[in-house]
Amino acid sequence: MSFEELEHTADIRIRVEAATLEELFSEAAQALMTIMYGSISPGNIRRHVEMDADDIISLIQEFLSEILFISEVEDLVFSGAEVRIAGNNLIADLTGEPFSKMKHLGGREVKGISYSDLSIGRERDSYILEVIFDV
Amino acid sequence: MLPGIKRLAPFEWEVPIGTVPGMRVPGRFFLSDELAKTLEDGAVQQLANVATMPGIIKNSLAMPDIHWGYGFPIGGVAAFSIEDGVISPGGVGFDINCGVRILTTPLQEKDLKKKRELIERLFNAVPTGVGAKSTLRLSYKELESMLTGGARWAVRQGFGMESDLLHCEEQGAMGGADPGAVSAKARQRGMPQSGTLGAGNHFLEIQAVREIFHEKAAGSCGLFPGQICIMIHCGSRGLGHQVCTEHLRVLEGATKKYGIILPDRQLACAPILSPEGKAYFGAMAASANYAWANRQVIMHMVRQVFSEMFDIPYEEMTLVYDVAHNVAKMEEHIVDGRRMIVCVHRKGATRAFGPGAPDLPREYVSLGQPVIIPGSMGTSSFLLHGTQEAMVRTFGSTCHGSGRIMSRTKAKKALSGQEVKESLAAEGIIVRAPHDGAIADEAPGVYKPSDEVVRVVDSAGISRLIARFVPLGVIKG
Repeated sequence: MSFEELEHTADIRIRVEAATLEELFSEAAQALMTIMYGSISPGNIRRHVEMDADDIISLIQEFLSEILFISEVEDLVFSGAEVRIAGNNLIADLTGEPFSKMKHLGGREVKGISYSDLSIGRERDSYILEVIFDV
Repeated sequence: MLPGIKRLAPFEWEVPIGTVPGMRVPGRFFLSDELAKTLEDGAVQQLANVATMPGIIKNSLAMPDIHWGYGFPIGGVAAFSIEDGVISPGGVGFDINCGVRILTTPLQEKDLKKKRELIERLFNAVPTGVGAKSTLRLSYKELESMLTGGARWAVRQGFGMESDLLHCEEQGAMGGADPGAVSAKARQRGMPQSGTLGAGNHFLEIQAVREIFHEKAAGSCGLFPGQICIMIHCGSRGLGHQVCTEHLRVLEGATKKYGIILPDRQLACAPILSPEGKAYFGAMAASANYAWANRQVIMHMVRQVFSEMFDIPYEEMTLVYDVAHNVAKMEEHIVDGRRMIVCVHRKGATRAFGPGAPDLPREYVSLGQPVIIPGSMGTSSFLLHGTQEAMVRTFGSTCHGSGRIMSRTKAKKALSGQEVKESLAAEGIIVRAPHDGAIADEAPGVYKPSDEVVRVVDSAGISRLIARFVPLGVIKG
């Protein structure tokens, strides 16, 4: 898991680093789930999502918002995301397991994915995402 | 502090036009020297960003609990002209109508002998924390009624008394709610969560009246020294979060469509009277009503537990008041001597209408609207009342809480949940949460001292102190 929590007074701000854009999205999804549920582990439940957005910033915001939505309404905790991105179009296959009070109570409820200070950039050979989750 | 900020009065500061490019009005915030020490540049920047939005009237304002949020700063207040102003989810937040209410009981501190049992029974009665599900089974039609009827719907369903409604901002239901603008996805999140407390900074707290500053006002609110009261803090749950997320997307498009230039995408907005602006307002009002119904249902559960355990009549547990602190509303204010309707956004700020305001029940007309300021876990909470001064200077607004000063990452490193729980227990405060991590996140030291925040609003005259409450037991989400 390669994300780190950055300083933010009220909410949760994280930085994710990955070699490709697809991995960056996948790591971001796992980071969101880790923050919400404390720990995540592999499961065999699958969900498929597809979406278009105006730009890459909207795409990550909408992708994470969709994962938050499915997780909450279906009581699922995702641990993996296989992501394909073409332009501003995304297709992802998520894998996970059912929410369990015994296993998944170590996290914090995320209310939304903020656009404030949301950025995707390049550093050397890596893609860097910074994002704030409202908790 | 950022350069250029000017002190106007002992507790009032100005952020001049030009601090960020495109500011239309100056920013203004209320703060003491003590609180200024923890003011983040990011929060001032956000206050200045709001001042760039079209149709903003007089000032971009912030209350003394100002801190770095997203979109508006937390503690931010701004009013917009109906004709040429905008409405933005960035000025309300994801948790629409996150708010707080305080309920009295006829009990005194000495009556509370089985405190641990009481906390346990409340914890079992009110679904709490991540993944908690409601005991209510709402039909699609009932949810629709909840979205338009708010707390009134809840009372009609048997969750409370008619008199509760008079003691809620907007009588517990905002006009203009448009359930049609609340998507199927938002409803899907809202259905199983009505009557749940949620997580994060949401709580249910047993308190005792420890200090009375204004005896007559305390009497009007039904308070006496040593009295046991209950404070409930929660919002519109996943339904409101989803409404914010989806309308943010629509308003992003609208920002471009109407040629609005913004320094932060979270401030995405549309003209108030545009189709996109109206749809957001309708969905936001519906979510606000969901939150009022939610707090009403939780209060009912609390009353039932107290009634059974202490054998006290349900009717003797009166609601002092319920306030929203994340909302945008159409309100009448006097601007440059002219009475006009404006759209007031309050993001982590509380309405604090002065005496004679039209929305107040008879018993509060001469006093002004009760304002409830929760402290952090382990510190005092306060009851204040709104003033004429607030009507003139802050569009009838004041602070909403104590405001964080320490990040969650630092909080966790500083003290474990277990340590916080033990140190509070040593002070006689019992904390109950689904897991200890939730406790460390919200420990007392991570917030500005609540007494200093209310001292500032009291000294600046934008609300006045009535009473102070101390915590005895807390249920954290």
